[in-house]
Amino acid sequence: MGRLDRRRAAGGARYSAGVTVTLQERALRLGSARAADKFDLVVGAAGSETQLVLSSVFLQPAALPLMDGDVLARLNADPRVAWAAPVAFGDSFAGYPLVGTTTTLIQNTSPGFAEGGMFVTEGQAVIGAAVHLRLGAEIKPMHGTAETGGETHTELVYHVSGRLKPTGTPWDRAILVPVQAVWHIHGLGEEHDDDDHGGTAESTAPAHAEDHDHHGAIDADAPVNEDFDAHAPGLPAILVKPKSIADAYKLRQDFRQGATLAVFPGEVLTSLYATLGDARQVLSAVAIGAQGLVAAALILVTVVHIGQRRRQIGALRAFGAPRLAVVTIVWLELFALVLLGIGLGYLIGYGAALTIADRFTVQNGLILPVEFARQDLWQAIGMVAFAAILSAIPAILAYRQSPVTALRS
Amino acid sequence: MTAMQSLDIQDIAVRYPDLPAAVLAIPRLVIAAGEQVVITGASGSGKSTFVNLVTGLERPKTGRVAWNDVDLAAYSESARDRWRAGNVGLVMQDFHLFPGLSALDNVLLPARLSGAATVPRIARAHDLLTQVGLGRPGQRIETMSRGEMQRVAVARALLRSPGLIVADEPTASLDPESGAAVGQLLVDLARAEGSTLIVVSHDPRLIALLDRRIDLAAGEIVADNGGGPS
Repeated sequence: MGRLDRRRAAGGARYSAGVTVTLQERALRLGSARAADKFDLVVGAAGSETQLVLSSVFLQPAALPLMDGDVLARLNADPRVAWAAPVAFGDSFAGYPLVGTTTTLIQNTSPGFAEGGMFVTEGQAVIGAAVHLRLGAEIKPMHGTAETGGETHTELVYHVSGRLKPTGTPWDRAILVPVQAVWHIHGLGEEHDDDDHGGTAESTAPAHAEDHDHHGAIDADAPVNEDFDAHAPGLPAILVKPKSIADAYKLRQDFRQGATLAVFPGEVLTSLYATLGDARQVLSAVAIGAQGLVAAALILVTVVHIGQRRRQIGALRAFGAPRLAVVTIVWLELFALVLLGIGLGYLIGYGAALTIADRFTVQNGLILPVEFARQDLWQAIGMVAFAAILSAIPAILAYRQSPVTALRS
Repeated sequence: MTAMQSLDIQDIAVRYPDLPAAVLAIPRLVIAAGEQVVITGASGSGKSTFVNLVTGLERPKTGRVAWNDVDLAAYSESARDRWRAGNVGLVMQDFHLFPGLSALDNVLLPARLSGAATVPRIARAHDLLTQVGLGRPGQRIETMSRGEMQRVAVARALLRSPGLIVADEPTASLDPESGAAVGQLLVDLARAEGSTLIVVSHDPRLIALLDRRIDLAAGEIVADNGGGPS
């Protein structure tokens, strides 16, 4: 009997697979939508829209093509633009991505500083909430990542000047440095008059080692200069805050032509979600199939169980227990068992989704909010109703069974 | 305490579709209130059917099974359940106790399910367990010997002071010593309570304790050493 009970509870617990799939998909959707919240419009060089969003919003390392430096100047001069900020990536330190950007972007996309303050010289860095470094700590940037055989820069050592409050986005794992420092390290835009480097098609990140030779000393104490002109070096992405929604659409239209690409991250994510939704449907179908098998097994086990208890039920009746009392006991016992299984299923499913989300956050910085929604409640109510009906089958069998035949069996 | 029960059986014939002969056919049998009767007979002689009929577990299609002029044959299944709960104490070969419960809880279980476990009845349960020789009412049933288990079953049968006690092979699964003790206990307690006692048994020692003996063979009474007309 104990074995049967455990099997029944385990069957209910198998329900957890479906719960995990549903919760995880929703968490990924919510989490990524929150991450893209501050990113109204992203402009980059013509190429993959999805990659542009993944690299700029989720800081996924990839070699993006560069657009001309004058795009930033044009955007800054555009009356429809509230502000525009460069995003230059490719370097890393201790596994954290280094992002070259401006004070404007940091002020407008973060909830403020937890400690310290903004970078004011080229040699300073602002870190995200999830970067495990102390104020004043040294940061020696590395080309690419350690996994891809990156090489450490020797020209400049950054020092942490401040730590931002958490945002729940991958930017919490980022080290933000003045974009001009990134350019200088890679030998770009040292002299605005010298057009040698401006507008190069080469990514800021995969700059070659030989470039390092001719731009030896970088002044870490040089003040941050955020006055970008048409001669600024190439950039992989620019984050744009349009003044109005209408401006946003017009800007997107204008910058989708020629060598540039402009995207609403939300829009790109929506099509990603569609794909994600399809995957979830497939997984959910598999989970539902498994649940169907579990339900069939439950019915079978239940009927066997009641068969095994026929004698006890018959004896209770023979000793004068009223029929209704016996039926209630059988129903309650099975209902409680199946309910336990469903409860375990939700707990295990929730736990699994939380574990997966945590691991995801540690690896990618993106916080996945695992939460139940109204449809989960309806599903739970449906399952409980199903359990009530399922438990009634043996209860009815027990009601109809004659105590004499039950005792004789 | 319910009234002592006298039985009057008339023109009973129980047949099953696939058997040519009746499994039990009794033209007339009277058992007086307070009598102590043993039913004997080989396997298949109709003993179990007899027990089922007189306890209302089974209803005859023809004839009359009347206890104190109440005809069980006229009662519905639920009504017979209620009558049995109030008037019959059953003791069976296999005890039918519930593991996980204490001796006391087993004695009280059927009464509790019927909503009949009153304070005096709980006190009586304690008292009965003492009377059958069990000093620890809280002991769990699975830790008891078979003889002790049958004593619990006897206490359970007596809880509602039934007018009729029916014991179906009460000593058959016990060792001779425990069997003798349980048999004596049944006879003594039924006499003390003033209950009519019907025992089905092969056990010569138990048979010897009872006043009246009815032998069944092939569904018919072949010998009866007492009582009214048969």
